[in-house]
Amino acid sequence: MALEEMDKRRLSGVDIIGRKKGLLVTPDLCIGCRGCQTACKEWNKLPGEGTVNRGTYENPPDLTPNLYNRIRFVETSTPDGLRWLFVSQRCMHCTDAGCIRVCPSPGALFRTPEGAVAFNKARCIGCKFCVAGCPFNIPRYDENDRISKCHLCSDRIANGLSPACAKTCPTGAISYGDRVDLIREARTSGYKAVYGEADLGGLGVLFAFREAPSFYGMPDKPSFSPTIGLWKGILKPLTIIGLAGAVAAAATHYVTVGPKEIDEGGDE
Amino acid sequence: MKKDLVQKTTGFERFNHLVLAASFSILFLTGLGFLYHTLSWINTMFFGVHNAKVIHEWAGVVFSISLILTFGNYLGESLRFSREDSAWISSLGGYFSRTAEPPPQGKLNAGQKIFYLLIVVGGGLAISLSGYMLWLFPSSRGNILFGHFLHNIAVLLFAVTVPLHIYLGTAANPGTFRVMTRGTVTRAWAKKHHGKWARDLGID
Ligand code: SF4
Ligand code: SF4
Ligand code: SF4
Repeated sequence: MALEEMDKRRLSGVDIIGRKKGLLVTPDLCIGCRGCQTACKEWNKLPGEGTVNRGTYENPPDLTPNLYNRIRFVETSTPDGLRWLFVSQRCMHCTDAGCIRVCPSPGALFRTPEGAVAFNKARCIGCKFCVAGCPFNIPRYDENDRISKCHLCSDRIANGLSPACAKTCPTGAISYGDRVDLIREARTSGYKAVYGEADLGGLGVLFAFREAPSFYGMPDKPSFSPTIGLWKGILKPLTIIGLAGAVAAAATHYVTVGPKEIDEGGDE
Repeated sequence: MKKDLVQKTTGFERFNHLVLAASFSILFLTGLGFLYHTLSWINTMFFGVHNAKVIHEWAGVVFSISLILTFGNYLGESLRFSREDSAWISSLGGYFSRTAEPPPQGKLNAGQKIFYLLIVVGGGLAISLSGYMLWLFPSSRGNILFGHFLHNIAVLLFAVTVPLHIYLGTAANPGTFRVMTRGTVTRAWAKKHHGKWARDLGID
């Protein structure tokens, strides 16, 4: 259906996948310094928040409206002993982004020319549908019920700078560049499967994992709920077809079978 | 009332139908603006997307109250199925032939009963309940996913049937529109469309 097609073309990132910018996260290189958390707050002018000691170095415990990026400290015991993994958690800038698909307010979530999924609080109507649409549980809400999340430093990358988190990372665990180059780099460094290369049309944030994604606490096959596919893929086009079909059927009936005229003469 | 006119609907019934139709139209238009980004200009006309959301929510409240108020007028009659109803269905209401006439019908014919039960009550309750779920409990992921799905199934039902409902109440059946505007119909109309009801009223 034309309307659905137009929406899809405008929303999807498929046409930009070739020139899409992205980040490559390499947990092997991460030293858990959390410079990226701080640099992100600094650039985006996000206030610090008080937390309590939970008996782990991981802090804060979850993303918040004022925390777009966080290092998860994953402790896993393996036959070779304990493994301590540092994994960045933030918006993945999905090519087929569930959040954009479900958002009812055009422009509240949008794709930048570099392929990032950015947001405009002024257009967000606070419905929170995007939370349910996101396979990674990323969007958070500020005190006015407006969306807030990592936007790949869309303001910086539009001006040729690299995102604050990547720029500050001292080890290269977060690196920024053309998505295709990042994938090639990871391959050259010996990572066979790059997480996010093909998932959801290709994630903007790629991970160089040595083990299965679940080992790092990531979904092996990230996907959004099938009801979103049914809703946007089937019900949405069917609604406009049904509406047009019903109007056409009524018009056709009128000019073929015709109305039920009343023979008024017989009654008076 | 003129001598040759018969009362079919009460003033309250017509007023409530108007409220239902008006709130439905507002909901349908703003809803299309939310569903199809290509049609978001509709919500610009409803004073911008933020106001359109508030209008959609409160029009939904009006719609659901009005929906409940229709129960008293049509639910009892719609649940009574009799022989004329099966005959109406097997002749497809006489709508697909210039000659076939269904047998005399009561105050509501089988098509009206089915439309009322399945679309107005079924679809109306589904869209109202899911609407309240989406509006009042947005923090639950399951709520949003299921609520959306249900909301849109109901939208599909309405998109297909409401244009037909409007057509059947206007152009397809001359003399019918006044049932919902004036409340009265001619004796000839009553005999043609609801013969059994007319007979019960003593119209020969
Ligand atoms: S909460 Fe805001 S950004 Fe999220 S889906 Fe609703 S309007 Fe879009
Ligand atoms: S990770 Fe979630 S919020 Fe980010 S683009 Fe994908 S669906 Fe949207
Ligand atoms: S890309 Fe920018 S907004 Fe996103 S986590 Fe890094 S610094 Fe924060």
